[in-house]
Amino acid sequence: MHPILAHRAKLALYLAAWLALALLLAALTMLAGNLSGREAFVFVVPLMLLYAFVCLSTWYLCRAFAVERSGLVQLFSVHVLAALSSAGLWLFLGKMWAETLARFPWFNGLNARFPQNVALLAGAAILLFWLMTVVHYLFIAFENTRNIEKSLLQLQLLAREAELQNLKAQIHPHFLFNSLHSLSALTTIDAIAAREMCLRLSEFLRKSLAMKADTRIPLAEELKLLENYLAIERVRFGMRLQVEKHVDAETERCLVPALLLQPLMENAVNHGIAHLLEGGVIVLDAQKRAERLEIVLTNSCDPDRPPSRGEGMGLQNVSKRLATLYGSNAAIVWEDLAEYFHVKMVLPCGHV
Amino acid sequence: MSSEKSLQKIRALVIDDEELARKLVREYLAAHEEIEIVAECTNGFEAVKAITELQPDLIFLDVQMPKLNGFEVLELVEPRPAVIFTTAYDEYALRAFAVHAVDYLLKPFSAERFAEALQHAQNLLGREPVAPFTELATAARGSNSPLERILIRVGTEVRVIPVGKIDYFEAQDDYVAIKALGQTHLKSVALAELERNLDARRFVRIHRSYLVNLERIAKIELYAKDSRRVVLNDGTQLPVSRAGYSRLQALI
Repeated sequence: MHPILAHRAKLALYLAAWLALALLLAALTMLAGNLSGREAFVFVVPLMLLYAFVCLSTWYLCRAFAVERSGLVQLFSVHVLAALSSAGLWLFLGKMWAETLARFPWFNGLNARFPQNVALLAGAAILLFWLMTVVHYLFIAFENTRNIEKSLLQLQLLAREAELQNLKAQIHPHFLFNSLHSLSALTTIDAIAAREMCLRLSEFLRKSLAMKADTRIPLAEELKLLENYLAIERVRFGMRLQVEKHVDAETERCLVPALLLQPLMENAVNHGIAHLLEGGVIVLDAQKRAERLEIVLTNSCDPDRPPSRGEGMGLQNVSKRLATLYGSNAAIVWEDLAEYFHVKMVLPCGHV
Repeated sequence: MSSEKSLQKIRALVIDDEELARKLVREYLAAHEEIEIVAECTNGFEAVKAITELQPDLIFLDVQMPKLNGFEVLELVEPRPAVIFTTAYDEYALRAFAVHAVDYLLKPFSAERFAEALQHAQNLLGREPVAPFTELATAARGSNSPLERILIRVGTEVRVIPVGKIDYFEAQDDYVAIKALGQTHLKSVALAELERNLDARRFVRIHRSYLVNLERIAKIELYAKDSRRVVLNDGTQLPVSRAGYSRLQALI
């Protein structure tokens, strides 16, 4: 719906402006000499108020033919045609109105004198229509800037939120505390392994802390981060945690949002492997198809695992993040196949 | 401590799915001669089996484990040993308190803190606090969400039955018979306790002795003057009391 029609106050203001124009045109027709003051007023004002509504239709045209998306010739011909047809329609209505008024004694012969006013009315109609077109374009441009500002703000907000959530996910207190507990055990059992784990943990923390929500890194780097994470989890889970990777060489240079896979891998470990007595396997596939990066993550899981509250959160976050960064150019779907959990993600492969 | 008591060692069980965590407890316990580790378990099923067979005095219990969590393990064993929880999650502390745990060790913990917990355990041993089912079940699943699965122990075996697979519960003396997938399982619990812990929109107490899964009801029929019964999808007929009928009406 037209924004003016949707608000009573705006509509009143708009009609008041048109009333002023109507009075002006009435005065002009009177001055042109072939209508009396009363005739000009009664004939022109209602007609102009009617035209006020006709001119609102240009809003739909302006939206359909945005300046930045349409050619000059196209714009010109569309608006000339629109102005001519609406002016024509209006003049036809004017003629009917003149015929109607002419039936009353006060307006005797108005219909006969109508043709003499056609040039003035037609000129006014076309010019006013174009004026309204320009006003609408300006209005749309203004709205667009406002929307862009708004979505920019929203994007920044989302990015902040994602950053925070990522940070929280990375330095997941349970992950950290469990790892430190394993580390504490390792110190007396295998000092070298303990040091190795210290280094892995430090590197993982340092790298994830450095990442921002809008940082994009080559897939190869993201995989290295994951490897650090998995190495730490392997100390905890031992042989229960098996990971297979099938990564196409040409995907390694694709740019992906930093830490995109991290929450998915955490899900696979915490909601998949952690519930399996004998452990299980996580399979990561990365392929490039027609300039798109396709990543599939599958993990074995226990079909009878208790429902957990946090389970969908990571996925929802990744989904939101993809939507914010890529709009409809990226997608993520997941499926719970009882014995397996399956996540598939497609996103544009931007190169370094 | 009397010399007689020191001769009898405290029999302890270490339950944790992470090997290093178990090794750490073993290492810390090495300094305490009065404690003997009788077994280590890596998951909830093993834990239930070991507790039932070995009857330890004290268990070190992780919360997050495959199959059964620590609280679910406690629900299934009788008599219940003294419990020291060991976990990285601080949010279970209140629940641990509710099930009368001796102590709650947050990973990573020091040898000193561990010794303190042991001291508590030694002081308390012999006095056996028993938490009722409701408290255990509530602790096992978290505060206000309804019970999602029923745990049953047969000897040393554990069965996990998701509540959606259950047709109805029938009170039988001190037990409740659970009818699910054509089988009957017995659990030592009061029907009222189950009713309180299950989702009230899914399970209806249609009779003093019957708690039925609403989804299984095929029809409600009048079979004598003022007497009604429900017929389940598999043809089973169950009596409906007057109060049960009004509860049913409120839900359908």
